[in-house]
Amino acid sequence: MDWVTKFLDELWDFIVQSLSDNVPLIVGSVKAIVIAVAVMSVVPGLVWLERRLMGRFQVRLGPNRVGPFGFGQPMADTIKLLFKESIIQSSADKFLFHLAPAVVVFTAIVAFAVIPFGAPFEVFGQNIELWGANVNSGILFVFAISGMGIYGMVIAGLSSNNKYSLMGGLRSSAQMISYELSLGLSALSIIVLTGSLSLMDMVVAQESVPFILIQPLAFLLFFIAGVAETNRAPFDLPEAEQELVAGFHTEYTGMKFAMFFMGEYINMVTMSALVTLLFLGGWNTYGIPIWPILAFAAKVVFLLCVFIWLRSTFPRIRYDRLMTFGWKVLLPLCLLNLLITGTLKVL
Amino acid sequence: MFDLATVFEFTRDTVIFTVGLTAVLASLGVILCSSPIYCALYLISHMICLALLFLLYNAEFLAVVQIIVYAGAVMILFLFIIALLGGKKEVQELTFERSIAVAFIFTLLGELYLSATVGPTKQIEGKINPEIFGTAKAIGLELYSKHLVAFELASALLLVAAVGVICLAKFSFAPLKRR
Repeated sequence: MDWVTKFLDELWDFIVQSLSDNVPLIVGSVKAIVIAVAVMSVVPGLVWLERRLMGRFQVRLGPNRVGPFGFGQPMADTIKLLFKESIIQSSADKFLFHLAPAVVVFTAIVAFAVIPFGAPFEVFGQNIELWGANVNSGILFVFAISGMGIYGMVIAGLSSNNKYSLMGGLRSSAQMISYELSLGLSALSIIVLTGSLSLMDMVVAQESVPFILIQPLAFLLFFIAGVAETNRAPFDLPEAEQELVAGFHTEYTGMKFAMFFMGEYINMVTMSALVTLLFLGGWNTYGIPIWPILAFAAKVVFLLCVFIWLRSTFPRIRYDRLMTFGWKVLLPLCLLNLLITGTLKVL
Repeated sequence: MFDLATVFEFTRDTVIFTVGLTAVLASLGVILCSSPIYCALYLISHMICLALLFLLYNAEFLAVVQIIVYAGAVMILFLFIIALLGGKKEVQELTFERSIAVAFIFTLLGELYLSATVGPTKQIEGKINPEIFGTAKAIGLELYSKHLVAFELASALLLVAAVGVICLAKFSFAPLKRR
């Protein structure tokens, strides 16, 4: 039995050695899991918040029967969606039909990986940074990944073999491409101001004054483009029931249907976080005695409420007006704002 | 026991090899697949693999731009056109074996030509600042100092092309009348 203990000893040494050698790797994996789980579990809470707030906006109660304040409602909904029968019509392309919702959720979660939500701090001699990955071109990364999310909708539209799905998929992708330009251009004025693509540097640059006071027009344009980018009302043309039944997710049932909504809600959180980082000063508290991370969370939750508020206030706008608004109003304004910002920066 | 440094070097090499192999297989899928939608999807996965390769060699900015421009903007237009024209499967006139044989012959000829003209691979000369390597700053410094004229000329060319396309595709547009 001598060789067994020797082997176990060596194995133990190896494990300890490899653990202590790879602390950054382990911390990174833990952070990745925590962020993915947290982002996904935000979704039911957000659905609850949306239904409750919408109820109040429309002078009714909203879900209040399941559990205190209706907290059990999202749980019940999730269980229902998980156990629903999944129907796939026989003429659909099976592989692409299953791929589409996965692409939407995957890209939504990955885009959140580069969002920093607090200044780094030390635990057990380890410098813990409150973000998934420190990418130097962080903001470009978010745009790139959210651009890949469009494929989920196009593939859903193409694979369903249904004219409403196809039209819905094309519409939503056309809308998202058009508004992505305005989104990028209005963020560009902030990039010009800070001289960096890193989200971290942008927050540091706002230590004294948040950029919303310096760049109010850019904030407005970015927020409008952000609402359109997440396919939320009043820009939820892909789901225009009167014209398109339900757009690209007409043929989807059960959990696959819910995954599209998961993607939408996660994108909403990412967009709110991005607006907070770019314009509202991230985790800077501006003298209010509160934890920085709580300040960040409060700003994000406030913006989410604004998203819901917009949904219950504005009617859906017509498709051609949507495109005209994007190309002929938002885009020129973004270019003008960029021109002014660039000129002032050089002067 | 194992030497950890070699183990991790090995895994890194394996990842690079796997991504490269996937890129090659995806590009084969582009030309060998008969359904246009799948061809486009193979091309997208090929682009993403290229971006991953850039990322593995620390060219972060290039990877992100590769995804935004090629995998994001260009390929979505491909998918649009496929969706509008209706992505029907095409009947292949050539048999599979014949196309493989032709591809093989051309590959061999190309290889022969390359080995005749290009010498053994060389290292890049000049200094690289490791601090800013792969960032937007490094590319910007290079692009707007050494290659400024070529860059501006290329952008003017693209602008002319864009204006030309709009002129060619212009159609008389009557706004919708209210009923």
